[in-house]
Amino acid sequence: MNWILPEGAWLGFEGLAAPLQIIRGLGGGTQGQVYEVELEGERLALKWYLPACIARDGGLEQRLVASIRTTAPNDDFLWPIALLRASPASRPLIRIRQESFGYLMPLRPPAYVGASEHAAGRLAIGLRQVLRACFCLSDAFHALHLAGLCYKDVSLGNLFLEPGSGSILICDNDNVAVDGADHGAVLGTPGFMAPEVLLGQARPGADSDLFSLAVLLFRLLTRHDPLKGQMELAIRCLDEPARRRLCGEDPVFIFDPVDARNRPDPIEHAAALITWPIYPRPLQALFVQTFCRGMKQPSRRALTGQWKQELARTLDRRALCPACDQENFQASGAQALCWSCASPLPEPITLSLPRGAVVAGPDNELHLHHFDALAGEDLRRPLARVVAHPQDHRRLGLRNLSTAAWSAEAPDGRAQPVQPGESCSLAALARIHTPEGPIAVQRPTRPSPAA
Amino acid sequence: MPFPDVKLANRPLHFLYLCDCSGSMAASGKMQALNQAIRQSLPGMAAVARDNPEARVLVRAVRFADHAAWHIEAPTPVEQLEWRDLQAGGITAMGEALKLVAAALQTPPMEVRALPPVLVLISDGQPTDDFSAGLESLLRVPWAQKSVRLAIALGHDADLEVLQRFIGSEPATAGRSPRRPLQASNATSLAQYIQWASTAVVGAASMPASRVSETPLEPAAGNIPLPDLPPTVLDPTDDVGPLVW
Ligand SMILES: Nc1ncnc2c1ncn2[C@@H]1O[C@H](COP(=O)(O)OP(=O)(O)O)[C@@H](O)[C@H]1O
Ligand SMILES: [Mg+2]
Repeated sequence: MNWILPEGAWLGFEGLAAPLQIIRGLGGGTQGQVYEVELEGERLALKWYLPACIARDGGLEQRLVASIRTTAPNDDFLWPIALLRASPASRPLIRIRQESFGYLMPLRPPAYVGASEHAAGRLAIGLRQVLRACFCLSDAFHALHLAGLCYKDVSLGNLFLEPGSGSILICDNDNVAVDGADHGAVLGTPGFMAPEVLLGQARPGADSDLFSLAVLLFRLLTRHDPLKGQMELAIRCLDEPARRRLCGEDPVFIFDPVDARNRPDPIEHAAALITWPIYPRPLQALFVQTFCRGMKQPSRRALTGQWKQELARTLDRRALCPACDQENFQASGAQALCWSCASPLPEPITLSLPRGAVVAGPDNELHLHHFDALAGEDLRRPLARVVAHPQDHRRLGLRNLSTAAWSAEAPDGRAQPVQPGESCSLAALARIHTPEGPIAVQRPTRPSPAA
Repeated sequence: MPFPDVKLANRPLHFLYLCDCSGSMAASGKMQALNQAIRQSLPGMAAVARDNPEARVLVRAVRFADHAAWHIEAPTPVEQLEWRDLQAGGITAMGEALKLVAAALQTPPMEVRALPPVLVLISDGQPTDDFSAGLESLLRVPWAQKSVRLAIALGHDADLEVLQRFIGSEPATAGRSPRRPLQASNATSLAQYIQWASTAVVGAASMPASRVSETPLEPAAGNIPLPDLPPTVLDPTDDVGPLVW
C-alpha cells in the first residue's frame, strides 16, 4: 500500500494542541485510507480522504462538522470525533500534492471482525450472537433515525461484529446527514440500495435506510441475498445492467408469498432454504413486509422499532434441542421439530413476565423491557440470566444480575432470598419477586415427548 | 451452537494478465519490475478476494514474445497463486496472445454464469504479428465483450494506439483515465497500476462499491463503473531519481 501519511511520523494538525503520531496504516478503500494513530497516549483511528473523493462530494466537510457537533446516536458507531487538516509545518510530510483532510474516530478493537467474514462463512459464531448483532444493528439505526439522521450507505462492508457476544460497530459514518437535507454525494451500495434510489427516482434517506437495513439483516440471518433466486440464475454476466434489473427494475423477494418467479434454487441457493425456516413467522413477516409491499412503497417498510421488538422476542424464544443442542426459535405451543435434526422439541419451561415471556434456555436473559411497558427493548443491561447447573446441564437456574435481592417462592409458598450474583434453581420454584416485577415459572402442562 | 454451515452462493471472477515478454522488456529492468509488481500485488488481491465472498477470484496469465503461451494456464484461486518469474526474449506476438485468451473465454471452458472477466494487457512496444486479427477474434467472444479491459504502457515505446484499441473507445474528456492506457514510466508507477487493477478493479467487478451521484465515476468498462485511479503518491524513494523507461 502506498500510504499517504508516513507511518511513524509525528504530524501537527490545525486545532489539535498536541502532535499526533501515525502508528500504522490499517487499510485503504475507495474513499481514503485509515490509520491507527496516537494522540496524547490514546489510540484512535484517522481516516484520510483521497482528493478525488473530496472533489466529488462537496458537502463532505460540512456533514462531518455537523456530525461531530451532534455526537454519536449510541456507542455502536465509530463516530467522527474531530476534523483534521495538516498544519503548515506538517503539510510537506503528506505525500500528495492536492489539499486534503481527514477525521478522527474511535479505533475498532481487534476482536471486531468485518461482517463479510460471517457472510463468507469463515466466522465461528452462533445463532444467538447473530440475532443479537441484528438487534444491535436495528437499535443503532433506531437511535440514528430518532435523532432525525439517516445513514445512506448501509452495507456489509461498514459493519463489524464481535462473534463472542454479537456486539457490533458501524464505521464509515461520513455520509450521515439530516434526513431529507440533501447534501451528499453517496447513493449507497448496489445490492443494498432501495430500488427507488438505484433507479434514480429518490435520494437516499431514512426510508431507503430501512430497505438497506432489511437487506443487511437478511444477509446476516441467512447468509444469502434477498433478491438472488431463479432470476439471478438466469443472468449469465452479473454486471451493472444486470444488477439494475435484478435489484431495481424488477426486484422480487425470493420468499415472496405471491410472486414465485424468484424462488431460491435448491442447490445454488441452499443457504437461504436452510436458514429461513429457522426464524419464527413474525420475524419473517417483517422481511415480507419490507421486500414485498415495501419494495415499491417506501413508507410500508418495517421500522427500526418493529425489528427491535421482533428480534428481541425471537431471542426470548430461544430453546436448545435436547437431541442435537442446536438453537431453535419457534413459537411456543406449536408442535415443533428441531430445524437441524428434526427431533421433536419438548415444551420448555417458560418465565412469564409482565411484558412477554422468556423460554428458560441457557444464556437467555431478562431485561427491563420485560417488566416495564415504557422501557424500549435494550439488551445491554440484563437483570437476570438463565444458567445451566455446572454439574447437570439439564438443571436450569436463574441468576440475579441486578443490584437488588429477589425473593424466590416455592409452590408451597415458602420464600427464600436470592442475592445479586446468586442463582436459584428453576425446578423448585413457582414465582420470583423482583423489584422490577414478578417472574412466574411455568412448567409444561403435558409431559415432554423426550421425557 | 454454530451458525448453520451453509455455503454462500458465489460466481467466478476471471482475472487475466497478458504480459509482454519481448526482448525489449529485458532493458532497464522492466521484466524484473513487472515480476516484482505482480508478486507484490498478490497479498492485496487476496485480501480483496476474501472481502468479497460473492466472488471466486481466479487468476491466469499469458506471456507473449516470439509466440504466445500460457504462463499460468489453470484458473488459480488468488490465495494459492505463486508467481514464477517471466523471462524476456524475442519479438511481440500480441495478436496471438489475444487469440489464446479468446479461446479461453469461450463457454466451455468458461462457466455459464460468472462476473465480468478482467483482462490486463501490459506492453512496452509494438505488436509484431497480426494484432487486428487477434483483437477481432477476441471481441467476437461474448465473455470478452463483457470483460473489463485495462492496458498498461511501459515506457515511451509502447504503442498507445494499439493498447487503446484493446481497451475500446477512448473517453471524451481529456486526462488520466482507466479507459486510456495507463502510462507507467518507472517501477513505482507500474507497481501502483498493477496494485490498482488487482485490488480496486477486482473489487468493483466482484462486489459493487458505494455509489456517488454528483460527478459520475470513471466511465464504465465492460458494464462495470471503474474506480478512481490511484492518487499520485509522492514516493520518498523517488528522490534518488527513479529509473525512467
Ligand atoms: N475506526 C476504525 N478502526 C480500525 N479500522 C478501521 C476503522 N475504520 C475503517 N477501518 C479499516 O480501514 C479500511 C478502509 O476503511 P473504509 O473507511 O471502509 O474505506 P472506504 O470507505 O474508503 O472504502 C478498512 O479495512 C476498515 O476495516
Ligand atoms: Mg467503506
